Amino acid sequence: MSAVESQSADAKAATSSARSRAIKSLDIGGLILTLITVIFAVLWAFPIYWGMVTSLKPESQVISDTVEFLPRTWSFEAYWHVMVNTMIGRWYVNSLVTSLGVTAITLVTSALTAYALSQLRFPGRTVLWFLILASFMVPLTALIVNHFILMAQLSLINTWMGVILPQLIHPVVIIVYKNFFDSVPKEYREAAKMDSASEWRIFSRIYLPMNWGVTTALSIVIFIGAWNNFLWPFLAVSRPEMMNVAVGITQVNDAFGVQYARELAGAMMAAMLVAVLYLIFQRRVTQAIMLSAGVKG
Amino acid sequence: MSDIVLKDVSKSFGAVSVLDRVSMRIESGEFIVFLGPSGCGKSTLLRMIAGLEEVTEGEIHLGGRRVDQLPPNERGVAMVFQNYALYPHMTVRNNMSFGLQNVGTPKVEIIQRVNDAARMLEIEHLLDRKPAQLSGGQRQRVAIGRAIVRDPKAFLLDEPLSNLDAGLRVRTRLELAQLHHRIKATMIFVTHDQTEAMTLATRIVVMNNRQIEQIGTPMEVYSRPATRFVAGFVGSPAMNFVPIKSITDVGGNASISFAGQPPIHTAVPFGGLPKNNLTLGIRAEAARISQDGSGIEGVVDVVERLGERTLVYCRLPDQTTLVAEDNGVSAIQPGDAVRIALDGNVAMIFDEAGKAYHAVVQQGG
Repeated sequence: MSAVESQSADAKAATSSARSRAIKSLDIGGLILTLITVIFAVLWAFPIYWGMVTSLKPESQVISDTVEFLPRTWSFEAYWHVMVNTMIGRWYVNSLVTSLGVTAITLVTSALTAYALSQLRFPGRTVLWFLILASFMVPLTALIVNHFILMAQLSLINTWMGVILPQLIHPVVIIVYKNFFDSVPKEYREAAKMDSASEWRIFSRIYLPMNWGVTTALSIVIFIGAWNNFLWPFLAVSRPEMMNVAVGITQVNDAFGVQYARELAGAMMAAMLVAVLYLIFQRRVTQAIMLSAGVKG
Repeated sequence: MSDIVLKDVSKSFGAVSVLDRVSMRIESGEFIVFLGPSGCGKSTLLRMIAGLEEVTEGEIHLGGRRVDQLPPNERGVAMVFQNYALYPHMTVRNNMSFGLQNVGTPKVEIIQRVNDAARMLEIEHLLDRKPAQLSGGQRQRVAIGRAIVRDPKAFLLDEPLSNLDAGLRVRTRLELAQLHHRIKATMIFVTHDQTEAMTLATRIVVMNNRQIEQIGTPMEVYSRPATRFVAGFVGSPAMNFVPIKSITDVGGNASISFAGQPPIHTAVPFGGLPKNNLTLGIRAEAARISQDGSGIEGVVDVVERLGERTLVYCRLPDQTTLVAEDNGVSAIQPGDAVRIALDGNVAMIFDEAGKAYHAVVQQGG
């Protein structure tokens, strides 16, 4: 009995010493890596922290001689101001409608395009595919003047549709979908054909559900992109009641110049929804970013 | 009526021909097995009957109707895929009813048919599971169930047992035979496994190199192979082929001899045989280790003890290898000099092109 005990004690001692040795050998490298990560995390997070703290200070305390990491007096005045004196509610609605619109239409059109390119054989298919790949190379900003003229000619300036339409061009979504549809074993399609399924049924009942993961991931990324988009919504809308949040918060100033706490309170409120979404769908977002970078996760 | 007729069916992918003028007739209710090595075109032929591959030339008729230009769903056939292709996001019930839903079958009838098929295949308790929650054998049943609910004129099965482990394969094979017996539907089964072919088929279609080598019942294909390829492909161990040194006419039949060995009298008629470059074909069970010192000489290379019999791999003086059989309890060791008695009555002769010459079949035999 005691022999067994002493044996097991020996074994424990051996494993623990082995473990401590392992930790020691890892220590220095791990420590350096952790330190670097922490430094970068602080550098990256500090502006957000600073913005949040500033938005919670009374305007009079924003500019001071010393660095104050926490407000001397906590105040929600800036938030109150933004909520009461600006159209932020309306901007939120505009942002929601346009971002959801962009997300839904992009997903539907891209998935259908990708299905056609991946599964159907039709004349001009390769040319179309290369055109889509090529369009990937053109930055949207290069087309922004054309977009503006086009939307103006269609009398869509200052409308939701005018904000949505030019944002629907997402070749990368088509590419990601096509890659996924390509990798579905062809037997599923053949089985569905034997099962008398139409192309629409094969798409909607087999291919799309088999790739729900990628659809959710893409939808989050498109939504966040559309929500944060500034340049086009800024150009397409001049009437305050049609602005989205990202554009609207630039309006949070008054005749007395820049009011930092209010500006930052507006910015915090604009970012809130995306931040919450990101927290909920963290893994999906990472997956989607990897997908669009061409790494299948 | 669900007979299938193939008339001069050819298939090529660009310049590469994979099937060359294949013709055959499959009777209603038959269990046909396409047997052949990889790349012989057997799966392509099945897929052409299914409508998943276009026919380059020729015609396919099913139940008296030409179908080669029809899409797969209008041919009235169902297919079981090698990897089953069960839709992973649907339950077993939805997998089985998907095809019926697509053609607008009334809901009550769908439920009825799915339940009937599930009962027949004993998968009722699995109906609400998804394919990932099933074992290989269960998936196999569901795949068959998906075919059965459609009440097809013919079942097309593309190597459906190849993903199962050995024990399950034997059991599923038996169940498949029972299923065929029960529903009496026309079935076409593709495999490269000759045991599956021998045990399941009413007729085997042996294919090689883009063409049909022979169509016949399992025993015909085994005992009277049409070509040297069929003889070598069907049967385990493979048939022995021994080059013939000289051939003489003894009472109308061919009597042959190898280098320096006593002659062997076969039952193959001498007339009509070419005279040069002939090969004797004889199965291991007709080449017994002789107990009385008669027969041809050989030296034992390898001994395989299978329990009920022993396979003895012998080297003949001309260095040809010949597999002979001995009793289960055999004292033979590698290196032993043995004599092998060949049963000339069941031997066959192949010419240079591989065509087989057999003993004349007796009336009624």
